[in-house]
Amino acid sequence: MAKGEDPKLDMTPMIDCVFQLLIFFIVTLKPEDIIAHLDVNRPAPDAKAKQDETPEDLIQVMIFRDGFNINNRTVSLNTLQGVLAKLASMSTTQTILIKCASDSPHEKLVQVLDLCSLVGLKNLSVMSM
Amino acid sequence: MAKKVKKNYESNIDMTPMIDCVFQLMIFFIVTIQLDNDQISEKIKLAQSPNGPKIEKKIPGTMIIQLDKDGNILMGKAVCNEAALRGIVGLAVNRMGPSQVNIMIRADTKTKHYYVRRVMDICTEKGIYKIQFAAMKKKGE
Repeated sequence: MAKGEDPKLDMTPMIDCVFQLLIFFIVTLKPEDIIAHLDVNRPAPDAKAKQDETPEDLIQVMIFRDGFNINNRTVSLNTLQGVLAKLASMSTTQTILIKCASDSPHEKLVQVLDLCSLVGLKNLSVMSM
Repeated sequence: MAKKVKKNYESNIDMTPMIDCVFQLMIFFIVTIQLDNDQISEKIKLAQSPNGPKIEKKIPGTMIIQLDKDGNILMGKAVCNEAALRGIVGLAVNRMGPSQVNIMIRADTKTKHYYVRRVMDICTEKGIYKIQFAAMKKKGE
């Protein structure tokens, strides 16, 4: 090497290292799942007795293991969406009482809550039966 | 001859600080990734809710209660029974007040409502009437 010449840096190890890091992060990085929150209210325990005599004008959605009921009428998920959309077009602040059977999977409850969220119903009360 | 050796020595770069730095970075990322996932069990498959409002910001005082498909209660990654959950919720309520405690239930799609109800009943018992359910809005690929 001549005296005035700049010493050459060997970039290879650094580039190797950076590539290793890059591969590590690409492989391990998983985009985060977007989680939704579905908010519900629970009836207070002292109101339990009162709720046995549900007011007639309150909309009741029942969830069973194999289907849904709205005000004692068996409906499919699509029909339920239609009915809830109609209700929401009148008022989005009305209370919807959701009664869930013990043996129904949690997925069904989430489906109903999702529909309520879609149509904009906010006052949701979840009860078990 | 002696001059030449000195020159060669000068032209070598010392890699040690870079390696140190890279290790520090790696440790930092490994630790932070684990901290972030600490409260969540990956065994739980959330139900789909494409229309639900997404979680914008973590609400302080949020307590995540997880339920796997067999109905086991998980706090973080530890399984706990109902009595323990009652104690934990009670403690949080005593410390912050029932209105400040935000309960989020992460239940598996297949969890029977019976188990969800038991958790909700414990919360209601302690004076918490507002409950959130976690659902999958969009899965990260």
